Amino acid sequence: MMSKMMIQIENLYRTFHHGSNEVSVLKEINLNIRQGECVVLKGVSGSGKTTLLSLIAGLDKPSAGKVLIEGEPISKLPDLFASELRAKKIGMIFQHFNLFEHLSVNENVTIPLIPSGLKMKEIHEKVDESLTLANIIHKQETLASRLSGGEKQRTAIARALVADPNIILCDEPTANLDRDNSLLFIDILGKLHSMGKTIVIATHDPLFDSLSFESTIVPMVDGKIV
Amino acid sequence: MNEALLSNQVIVFLLSEATLFMLLAVAFIVSLKVLLKWDFESFTPFQFALERQAYLVSTIILFVFLMKFILVVYFIFSIDALSLLLPGAMCAAGVIKANIYGSYLLILKLFILFLLILWIYVHSYDMRTKNHQWFRKKSWLFSLIFVLIIVELGLDFSYFSNIDTHMPVSCCSALFGQLEGANPLPFGLSVSLLLVLFYLLYILVILTIKSGYTILYILANILFVFLSYYAVVYFFGTYVYQLPTHKCPFCMLQQEYYYVGYLLWGSLFMGTYIGLSDAVSTLWLGKTDMRSKKIVMALLSVFVLLCTVYVAVYYLRNGVLL
Repeated sequence: MMSKMMIQIENLYRTFHHGSNEVSVLKEINLNIRQGECVVLKGVSGSGKTTLLSLIAGLDKPSAGKVLIEGEPISKLPDLFASELRAKKIGMIFQHFNLFEHLSVNENVTIPLIPSGLKMKEIHEKVDESLTLANIIHKQETLASRLSGGEKQRTAIARALVADPNIILCDEPTANLDRDNSLLFIDILGKLHSMGKTIVIATHDPLFDSLSFESTIVPMVDGKIV
Repeated sequence: MNEALLSNQVIVFLLSEATLFMLLAVAFIVSLKVLLKWDFESFTPFQFALERQAYLVSTIILFVFLMKFILVVYFIFSIDALSLLLPGAMCAAGVIKANIYGSYLLILKLFILFLLILWIYVHSYDMRTKNHQWFRKKSWLFSLIFVLIIVELGLDFSYFSNIDTHMPVSCCSALFGQLEGANPLPFGLSVSLLLVLFYLLYILVILTIKSGYTILYILANILFVFLSYYAVVYFFGTYVYQLPTHKCPFCMLQQEYYYVGYLLWGSLFMGTYIGLSDAVSTLWLGKTDMRSKKIVMALLSVFVLLCTVYVAVYYLRNGVLL
């Protein structure tokens, strides 16, 4: 049976204006991603990968075109609804981790669940599960500022997974990691893929060229899919 | 040059009004363009640009409206300060009657204040829908407010530029004696009947606030604010001044009376306006807000309690009523 469509992108454009200059960062992007698919957006810096991820996450609005998440258009959602949708359906992993340095691993991972209204017992269970999956549970009481790059990235993974989203978006996830930690990260991605998560990765790291699990490489050049 | 126009307060007030008006004029032109070409179902670059402009315009309007609240209070403060310049004026009551524009201006400002709160309601509901369901209604309401603000600005300048600082004005002294001649109270009411209606209407407003009788609630609210004005001026105010002949809505805004007028009138008008906006939203948009109802109850209760406390304290101290 064909899995359901998770992300649909139709004729997407994003243009920025600098005074009288117009910079087209994305042009005529069309892309369909099904549930459980892993898509690697490959391209050099400035090819529009991060902008595309921001539009998929509803962090930015397009200049034209549509982004649909599970059939619901996200490109016009007011911030309030976009945040709600992100909290429920999308987990994000960033190049610079974006952790609260003065909080512990446990606290960083707990934060996305605070507005959920779950009971503390349930929150603790979900956090533990997520920390175990990301292989960082042994550091749960450590402050984020005391972690190595690889540990920070695994904390970021745990935070992205804690609300059990169907979609995981990764923006240059291995850019600040050494080779061993990058391979460890890819290993965890493999686990998520086997769990049926839909994964979109924006990267220029050659390690993603030949993943051990099924993936689709989508090359991007100058804001276009080629 | 008119001396009133050279007063610091008036200069600041008129400059602020003019600046805010310019911001609103830009917002109005853009919003009209957005309104006429709005098609939320479209995903074209033009529609996306309109949506960005609509967001910016709404933010400007919200900012200007919030500033207008402060300016209404500052207007009252300014005309109160002008009483020093006008022969015969002891407070804003005399200054407002310095020419024919004053009373109309004050009434218009109070009406615009209500429409601003209503716009903020419609805007907040609109921002909480996925498809900006109330955008058109919000924009038309803004257009109406903008027209009234043009009139208000015209009246602002006409009023302040036509204050003759050499012409004596009648002030509280004239109000003092009004009960001795024709009955100044509406519907030929006596003060005691006015008070009974005042408390009954307060109870009716509180009882109907959460009921489904929206029309009754609106009517009770309007009647309550109308009669409250007379109740404060002709009864409760005399206890604020501790003088049975002093019947003025403005003197209580002065330092001598601890600026209690701002709290009294502020709680009454804000409570009524928020209540009416919520009720109009219920009828117009089918939306209601429970938090607003609690705020209305709190504000109107503060108003009624404050009025009552002045009378009670006077009685406890002196053993008699005025």
